[in-house]
Amino acid sequence: CFTVTAPDLPILERKNWLIYLLYVRQDYEECKAVIKEQLQESQGLCEYAVYVQALIFRLEGKIQESLELFQTCSILNPRSADNLKQVARSLFLLGKHKAAIEVYNEASKLDEKDWEISHNLGVCYMYLKHFNKARDQLNNALELNKHDLTYMMLGKIHLLEGETDKAIEVYKKAVEFSPENTELLTTLGLLYLQLGDYQRAFEHLGNALTYEPGNYKATLAAGSMMQAHGDFDVALSKYKVVATAVPESPPLWNNIGMCFYGKKKYVAAISCLKRANYLAPFDWKILYNLGLVHLTMQQYASAFHFLSAAINFQPKMGELYMLLAVALTNLNDAENAKRSYEQAAALDKSNPLVNLNYAVLLYNQGDKKGALCQYQEMERKVNALKESSTPDFDPEKMVEVAQKMGVALQVGESLVWTKPSKESKSKQKAAGSGKSSSSQQPLGSNQALGQAMSSAAGYGKTMQLPTGAGAAAPAAKPPSLPLEPESGSEASPEETSAPPEAE
Amino acid sequence: CCSCPAGRMGLDPLFHAWSYFRRRKFRQCSELCSELLERPPGNQMFYFLLYPVQAAWSLKTRALTEMVYVDEIDMDQEGIAEMMLDENAVAQVARPGTSLKLPGTSQGGGPSPAVRPVTQSGRPITGFVRPSTQSGRPSTMEQAIRTPRTGLTARPITSASGRYGRLGTASMLTNPDGPFINLSRLNLAKYAQKPKLAKALFEYIFYHENDVKNALDLAALATEHAQFKDWWWKVQIGKCYYRLGLFREAEKQFKSALKQQDMVDTILYLAKVYLRLDQPVTAMNLFKQGLDRFPGEVTLICGIARIHEEMNNISSAAEYYKDVLKQDNTHVEAIACIGSNHFYSDQPEIALRFYRRLLQMGVYNCQLFNNLGLCCFYAQQYDMTLSSFERALFLAENEEETADVWYNLGHVAVGIGDLNLAYQCFKLTLVNNNNYAEAYNNLAVLEMQKGHIEQARALLQTASSLAPHMYEPHFNFAILSEKVGDLQRSYTSAQKSEEAFPGHVDTQQLLKQLKQHFAML
Repeated sequence: CFTVTAPDLPILERKNWLIYLLYVRQDYEECKAVIKEQLQESQGLCEYAVYVQALIFRLEGKIQESLELFQTCSILNPRSADNLKQVARSLFLLGKHKAAIEVYNEASKLDEKDWEISHNLGVCYMYLKHFNKARDQLNNALELNKHDLTYMMLGKIHLLEGETDKAIEVYKKAVEFSPENTELLTTLGLLYLQLGDYQRAFEHLGNALTYEPGNYKATLAAGSMMQAHGDFDVALSKYKVVATAVPESPPLWNNIGMCFYGKKKYVAAISCLKRANYLAPFDWKILYNLGLVHLTMQQYASAFHFLSAAINFQPKMGELYMLLAVALTNLNDAENAKRSYEQAAALDKSNPLVNLNYAVLLYNQGDKKGALCQYQEMERKVNALKESSTPDFDPEKMVEVAQKMGVALQVGESLVWTKPSKESKSKQKAAGSGKSSSSQQPLGSNQALGQAMSSAAGYGKTMQLPTGAGAAAPAAKPPSLPLEPESGSEASPEETSAPPEAE
Repeated sequence: CCSCPAGRMGLDPLFHAWSYFRRRKFRQCSELCSELLERPPGNQMFYFLLYPVQAAWSLKTRALTEMVYVDEIDMDQEGIAEMMLDENAVAQVARPGTSLKLPGTSQGGGPSPAVRPVTQSGRPITGFVRPSTQSGRPSTMEQAIRTPRTGLTARPITSASGRYGRLGTASMLTNPDGPFINLSRLNLAKYAQKPKLAKALFEYIFYHENDVKNALDLAALATEHAQFKDWWWKVQIGKCYYRLGLFREAEKQFKSALKQQDMVDTILYLAKVYLRLDQPVTAMNLFKQGLDRFPGEVTLICGIARIHEEMNNISSAAEYYKDVLKQDNTHVEAIACIGSNHFYSDQPEIALRFYRRLLQMGVYNCQLFNNLGLCCFYAQQYDMTLSSFERALFLAENEEETADVWYNLGHVAVGIGDLNLAYQCFKLTLVNNNNYAEAYNNLAVLEMQKGHIEQARALLQTASSLAPHMYEPHFNFAILSEKVGDLQRSYTSAQKSEEAFPGHVDTQQLLKQLKQHFAML
């Protein structure tokens, strides 16, 4: 009687199930021990053990080691597209995009119907700035298999190329495909916000917030939209939710500061804005807002300081020069104020306030002809605006001043636009923004301005510089300059080491 | 009598020397005493009757001691050896909030590292640097040797507390003929019999010669002679033990001295021992008991405030510093600490008032004007800003201080938006102090603004190697690498950034994003 036992030959892939189980359970320590054992048994020929070891290395952030192991894998099994894909992925994570593309191309020869290869090729091309190829690859990936990430990358490419409309189309499709992805919703909402389509922006951001109430980006965007409509208290309560989670975010503090500004709590506004500025000294929007608040507070030296700093960071903006000129007017430097106005008028194409303020200055200086010229320019801009009917143009205050100005310049009769005709329009708006337009008034500016202007008519050239001229500017400015959160997240790399050495 | 060898002004020489001593003119006093002691022996016989030689001898010891005297309470310096190799703390892993060794998670509600700069990981920079300021400890010997020498204490760190020794050798220079008293020849037992001589001699040995062992011998003999009834000798013995590193023995002596006589000094010494044993809560209780006995004693309140500050509990430290100011409104340390605290909690105007108070009190140095300039700038007092910085530059005593001022001027330049000026300022900072990590970081940020990625990278790497405890260079490097697509380096830098400042939101977001990249196929 004899029993024949099968020879106990070592099988290479004997424990793959165990390795897989441990890896999926994220029990990496145990998994590594099993892998080591298995590799010793098989003298390093067990492909799967090497593969999982490389995956673990990658999860730990050791990309270089994982690359080497994946290369070993692809030597062990050169016909596998998976191994090549992983090699390319490691190359991509190391920032070697060209090499990654080559390896992906090889992998695609082995497996042509894989969306991942196309997607990753697209991302690699995006990093290399070959946008056309990237778009083709990503579209290809979408045809093979739809994924949120692919949509995101495609949208990103459109944005990088400056085609907002196409990007919106892409994101729309993406949201249809997966309506619960908050990131997609937020991005789409922000894009609508950029285009001024508040209704849809609100819808999408609201959806994002229902799925994820603490979403920082969406909260900030929603809050800034509320601010634009004057609901400062609601916006503040929104901000309160995220302020504990993100206590050191410059855009957040900027928006909170502008909320307080809207509620006429100027000191609180300044302290919030200054904290934002301390955290992000390179952000021109915060500096702009600080300048604006200081103009309202009639602290012209500080206003000049912040505005000139903002101009240094953002030299291509007419409104900044206009506010700077207003500050300069109040600092008794009419020469430089004039120059600044000229710069503003040259840079700005659509804001009639620039010309109005310039006209006031010129008039006060006794230059009636120049004032008339600016006045006409302003009329032209107002007409243009009327046609386009930009929603955030609130002319009420301006009309008043302009009419007085017109009377003073003796062109008032030929006004193409008069108050009554405007009234109906501004009434419509008043429902939405009446609160904001009334709360925007800076400290007693209007009466002062009216008096100044009437006295200008009375005394002609001998009159003094009206203090109100400066205040006219912020009167019609939108209450806040909400930062789009994209620029908020951009702002973080520019963070400096918070600095001063107080000893 | 004309031949009478009276003092130069016709005064009796010993009286004259004594008067010099009382007016704290120690050099003249000691010279006159030397003259008295070096009379030719023939004469000396005569003088022996009139002037006890011992008086001159004792006066000279006291004068020499006073020349180099440094208050023992504030002389607390741990060298590398004490920090690393000395294991006095009972609990190795203490609960947070009960130990000075853990920087602690910032529970005190103080400003975060995003607002207030830190010296070593977790400890925000203080408003007032004392010789005993410890800002974090190195964890290994190797790290201690590699970090900059002033990174941990107010002075360049030494291998063991060598500064005591240096004081002694410095005193040699004052006597070109060699030491005044040869310690090995003294018969300490004889001197211990005469308390009046013994006390002066002890102080000489302890402060001037820094010979702790002989001082301890003398003190032991003297306290025996006083039948253990003199608290002063007990305190001195405790001091000797403390210097020798025998903290428990020192504690016994101080405690027994306190039983005999309540003294503020003794309480302070005992608290020092407890701090050395890493028992801040015990020290604090001791201070509070001391305050019951001496209500409103400034040094005790200040001690409590310091402990709170060491434990990163800045807001309660500020409370105690305010109590100090209620008692003594010219207390420089309290004013400076409260001032810097206000500065870093968004109140530069109030900080400015505190620093101006210091200026009114006649403090006149580089750091003060530097701080004044910063406060003026951030409180929008633009007329005083630059003149303060100019004066700070003028008053700077060494290149590190000049570097500090230029660094802050760079911040002002950033504030007015003049990036070229800022660039120059940060460059000048580096010229003055080549190891200024913050300046490297800020230069890198400016380079990044210009689009010079490679330069920015190199500068950030320098910054992070110089100051591994700062989160900014790590984070900036991570962001930069992530933009280029080098996710591995980005990940390692982001990890370091998180280690340096665990609560940083942007770092956490970045790490999350990177981990997603790694996990995804």
